[in-house]
Amino acid sequence: MADFDDLDDTGRRDFLLKVTTVVSGAGAAAACYPFVASMNPSADLLAKANTEVNLSGITPGAMLSVSWQGKPVFILRRTEQQIKAMTANNGGLYPEQDSDRVKQPEWLVVIGVCTHMGCVPNKEGEGWTCHCHGSLYDDSGRVLRGPAPKNLEVPPYRFIAADKIMIGEA
Amino acid sequence: MPNRIIKWIDHRFPLTSFIKHELTGYPTPRNLSYWWNFGFLAGFVLMLQVATGLFLAMHYKPDASMAFDSIQHIMRDVNYGWLLRYMHSTGASAFFLVIYIHMARTLYYGSYRAPRELMWWTGQGLLLLLMATAFMGYLLPWGQMSFWGATVITNLFRATPFIGDEVVVWLRGDYAVGDDTLTRFFALHYLFPFLIIGAVVVHLVALHTVRSSNPSGIDLADKDNIPFHPYYTIKDFYGLGVFMIVYFLVVFFFPHSVLEPANNIPANPMVTPDHIVPEWYFLPFYAILRSVPNMVGGVVAMGLSVMIFAFMPFLDRSRIPGGAHYRPVFRLLFYIFILDILVLGYVGYVLPTSQTIAIGQVATIIYFMTFSILPFVSKAEDKWLFKRGLPPKILALIASEEEEKRKRSLR
Amino acid sequence: MNKMIVFFALFACGFPASADEVKLTKFQIDTSVLAVERGVDAFMNACHGCHGLKYVHYRDLASFGIDKDKIASWRGDSTLDSAMSSLISDEAALQSFGIVPPDLSMIIRAREGGAGYVYSYLIGYYQTTDGKTGNHFFPLTKMPDALDISSATDPAKRSDLQGKAHDIVSFLAWAADPHEAERKTLGYYVIAYLILLTILLYNVKLDVWSKLRL
Repeated sequence: MADFDDLDDTGRRDFLLKVTTVVSGAGAAAACYPFVASMNPSADLLAKANTEVNLSGITPGAMLSVSWQGKPVFILRRTEQQIKAMTANNGGLYPEQDSDRVKQPEWLVVIGVCTHMGCVPNKEGEGWTCHCHGSLYDDSGRVLRGPAPKNLEVPPYRFIAADKIMIGEA
Repeated sequence: MPNRIIKWIDHRFPLTSFIKHELTGYPTPRNLSYWWNFGFLAGFVLMLQVATGLFLAMHYKPDASMAFDSIQHIMRDVNYGWLLRYMHSTGASAFFLVIYIHMARTLYYGSYRAPRELMWWTGQGLLLLLMATAFMGYLLPWGQMSFWGATVITNLFRATPFIGDEVVVWLRGDYAVGDDTLTRFFALHYLFPFLIIGAVVVHLVALHTVRSSNPSGIDLADKDNIPFHPYYTIKDFYGLGVFMIVYFLVVFFFPHSVLEPANNIPANPMVTPDHIVPEWYFLPFYAILRSVPNMVGGVVAMGLSVMIFAFMPFLDRSRIPGGAHYRPVFRLLFYIFILDILVLGYVGYVLPTSQTIAIGQVATIIYFMTFSILPFVSKAEDKWLFKRGLPPKILALIASEEEEKRKRSLR
Repeated sequence: MNKMIVFFALFACGFPASADEVKLTKFQIDTSVLAVERGVDAFMNACHGCHGLKYVHYRDLASFGIDKDKIASWRGDSTLDSAMSSLISDEAALQSFGIVPPDLSMIIRAREGGAGYVYSYLIGYYQTTDGKTGNHFFPLTKMPDALDISSATDPAKRSDLQGKAHDIVSFLAWAADPHEAERKTLGYYVIAYLILLTILLYNVKLDVWSKLRL
């Protein structure tokens, strides 16, 4: 059988082979991109990344729970009393100023997922109680007691009107 | 370091020896033309379809109420979903184009003759698997053509003797094509390509046993074989480059040329489209089906038209190897056959009129005639060619083949 | 069931026979942002009352490049994320027209002749002798002359309405294939790359095979 190996190499052939290999490799790598990209969230899901919420129906002291990116978000309209109580101190286990957690003192917007193991806490009178392992949060979403390692997370949001917020972009 | 790993594997697994023996060092005739590229291309398209199909399946919903919408979701919202979809739909057509050319090469050069009959028959099996896969895949978009095409073709199983009606209902999972049909076709469409991969492995094992035929028809001497790598690896890759240019031209600039307008309308069991037409690769067989006025006759004719290829090793009674290369009459028959298939394709596409039906019937008769006269024509042509004189190498090969046969019958 | 299918098939077969010998206008699709924007405008005026596009969302118009305020004026109370559904319900449409006006998301793709056909159809309305309107391209249509082109005798008015139809069809062409521009751009790059790669592969092939002594 005529063998290929016992023939002489030239520099030109080597270079051509190298260039071709590199170009092929680049193409093969680039070809993977659409496949990988297709697994990322599609355009309709990215659109739902932002949720517009109308605040006009919420009375002082009442809470609205909305879905944002598949998670519950608590929107609490705090009374004068509640605002006073929350600004009077910095909370329990992980001190944080209430003013750092709100854009307008009347409105608290927090992700309604317990930072311990992910259960949804219940609004019971003042603050929230998580019935899974007993964590207690105040009306600013700060941990007062229990195994929760962090205060309730504040999602990115902004006011797009006096009575409307857009959750998803700050 | 890599060498040590390979040595470790080689102790436990025939990795290097397999690659050397079956891939890189594998002896291949030095005179293979570009018509021999198409097997490799078919394998490539198979991998392409599996890859695009897999990623499409991550977004597709095989439910009658969601299927069409999920395709729209893929086309509009999924990142590069439109590209995956067009690659898959174009890929199906590319697959058949490559396979038909591959089959034509085999017919022309007589590569179905002994000892390559099993290669031809595994290929026949592969063709059937491919046709089934394509047919089921076409239902998945749940457009008007999907639905009505599936309705018409599943209806044909009514031709089964005695239990025809039950078979149709059993196939569909319902009295009419519906959600049950769609879901099972999706399950099967996902499965079949892996059966195809298995059958391809069998096909390749058969190939490596009998080795490639070549355009001259004569078995080459050992010195006229060359290692598969680098000669045919690079030739296959070059051919792949040319193929990909054509393929991606269609994908990016003419993707709608293989997509029926009516399939952009959601399936409606209450309204049949003006014109039910299968994809181009089924047209000749569809024409044969419609040529026979009797329903059972039509189904039998269509089935026979696909299966008759299997008989080629027996129908061709010539002792001269190389197919059409040394046989002018066989070559003429081949070209007539190709032309006839194109005519049948046209007949299958247009709305049936009395003219086109007549043409279709003549073309169907010619189709079956080219096969059925082959035993007589091949023998007669042999006589003529031997009288006229053949190249000495061919005569030597024929003589040695006769010797082999005599020896085997004596044993 | 089979009788009904046969009836519809024969009924549908009759269409080509009944269409007039009026030719389809060749249509140059313009899917630029401006043309599509004008098209949506005209669509919202003339077509949105009865026709919807369930697969096109208002946010798709935004990602295409149309100004968000313009879109807000079109969508009114509907959210940015919602689909462009028609203002009429299916039941009410059935009552008024006897048929539900088809969804237009894919209409350009779903008709033989594509954009040329839809455009010719829109401007193909004419006044019949008994005061009603007919259409050269789809005589049995139940759709009224939405652009009122059949009564446009003044060439300037006619030309203006044809322009509107042109824009609407351009919008619909974009709606049926929103990724067309991206597809073609990527296509140029891919084909250019493949040509380069194939030339390289060809040269390597020649090089490899040249070493084979004949």
